[in-house]
Amino acid sequence: MGIHHVGASDGDLVRRVKAGDARAYADLVARYRPRLARYATRMLGNREDAEEALQDAFVRGYRSLARCDDPEGFGPWLFGILVNRCRTRGAQSARRERLLVHDDAALASVPSAEPPGDDEWHEAVGRALARLEPHYREAFVLKYVEDLSYEEMARLTGAGVSALKMRVKRACERLRGMLEEVQRV
Amino acid sequence: MSEHDRDLPDLIDRVARTLREPVATDGALDARIMARVLAAPAPAAGGAWWRWLRRPALSPLGAIGLAAILAGVLLAPRVRRTPAARPTLSEVQFVFVAPRASSVSVVGDFNDWNLAATPLARAGAAGVWSVSVPLEPGRYTYAFVVDGRRWAADPDAPRAAGDDFGTPNSVVLVRGAS
Amino acid sequence: MAGKLARLAWIALWPVALAAQDPRLGRVDPSVRDSVAALTDSARVEGLPANALIEKALEGTSKQARGPVILAAVRALAAELRSARSALGSSSTTAEVAAGAAALHSGARPTDLADLRLRRPAQSLLVPLGVLSDLVARGVPPDSASHAVLALASRAADEDYLAFRREVERDIALGAPPAAAAAVRLNASARQALTAHGQKP
Repeated sequence: MGIHHVGASDGDLVRRVKAGDARAYADLVARYRPRLARYATRMLGNREDAEEALQDAFVRGYRSLARCDDPEGFGPWLFGILVNRCRTRGAQSARRERLLVHDDAALASVPSAEPPGDDEWHEAVGRALARLEPHYREAFVLKYVEDLSYEEMARLTGAGVSALKMRVKRACERLRGMLEEVQRV
Repeated sequence: MSEHDRDLPDLIDRVARTLREPVATDGALDARIMARVLAAPAPAAGGAWWRWLRRPALSPLGAIGLAAILAGVLLAPRVRRTPAARPTLSEVQFVFVAPRASSVSVVGDFNDWNLAATPLARAGAAGVWSVSVPLEPGRYTYAFVVDGRRWAADPDAPRAAGDDFGTPNSVVLVRGAS
Repeated sequence: MAGKLARLAWIALWPVALAAQDPRLGRVDPSVRDSVAALTDSARVEGLPANALIEKALEGTSKQARGPVILAAVRALAAELRSARSALGSSSTTAEVAAGAAALHSGARPTDLADLRLRRPAQSLLVPLGVLSDLVARGVPPDSASHAVLALASRAADEDYLAFRREVERDIALGAPPAAAAAVRLNASARQALTAHGQKP
């Protein structure tokens, strides 16, 4: 992909892209892809949808770079774009069978009574997260996975702080309800 | 739960730690992203057309017109009847005037009629509320809910024919390539 | 379809409590929830837009309608979706079927939808069907609205349909009777088309 300016700040890269160096955007992609991929995967439940949402967000970010008022704040700004993309895609994937994540080999097996192994725990968490209502899931992931403050979450989602606190609380209650059994076994 | 409470119940803490683990992505993902980026038009100098979309005065009808123009300019002119693999999203701005309201949300079949999902924010002018929602091509039914309990149709949008539940809905039509 | 049935089958076998119902239906009145779920499952198996039925149930729930009212609305919509898909053809998109159901709900006839498809076989019917519903909602009698939409079908682009609807709505807002407004704008559109082809109106 050419020369990587490893030490460059987000602002430097954004300014370079705005000046016409589109390939500088590759460094921003490499920098933010892991974290954005994690968020999108947690929100959408499967890699295919997450990668599409990710691509949409990065391309949208590139096209509307003029609206990024603070180049140093590119990361949070791009993250906001991804949050919106995931909301829209989340609304669609609710129509599909979310359980398509399982492959045929897994279908054939029956869960045993053994204590949950790591894989089973991961699957259970994934399923539980998928069964949360989208705005509860979003609030939980923003708070406990992305580690945002409630003020940051409010700016990102447009919801009020108290509404967000309630969503996080409800999400925790529901996750507890769905997972306590799995952990106890 | 207080905002800085790291004393989470064990279970929730374990869930959070699990979800914080990195996820695997396709090795060629970055390259695919850059291929699309390099094929895209360069970032617009002033983003003027986008600013127009965000001005509170634009009704869904105006946004439809704009989306229609964009669809003609940016997308393949030949319309296919089978669904496109990657439907284009259009930003639709919902605007409602309610000077005495303390909250307004838009509720419809794009957000599962969830009163909490899409609140409007106060826009520049007094009493004007707005929110921008990305929507795929299709026909959507919606209404506004003021202060959590008063349902109102959009005075600037076509009415949905008939109302099944006693309060009228409005319709927004979002166009795309397919 | 076989894939869908296979997935439904293994969901039933998986002992861990996975949601066989769409989890959103958890919000719906328990007294009708299973009936609504059965309707959506049938729709899904038939390849109809099951999500539209779920959304209708959620709409009623949010508007605090009683269970039986919600169930009746979902049933009616399921019938309209089926009828729309039959009239528009099985290769119609989900959005077209939903828009067709809305048009039927507003008073269009299945034959109108079938005629529309015949006159516009290769283009999306989303906009014409939407305009049909919107005209009726503004007070244009269903017959007049169908007639106008069909008359435009073979030559109007989507933008022309939207312009037509805007003009009719403006005339109605200025006081014209809805049926007359539609007829006047249709004639104007026909004259324009003739002039464009170099003929005298």
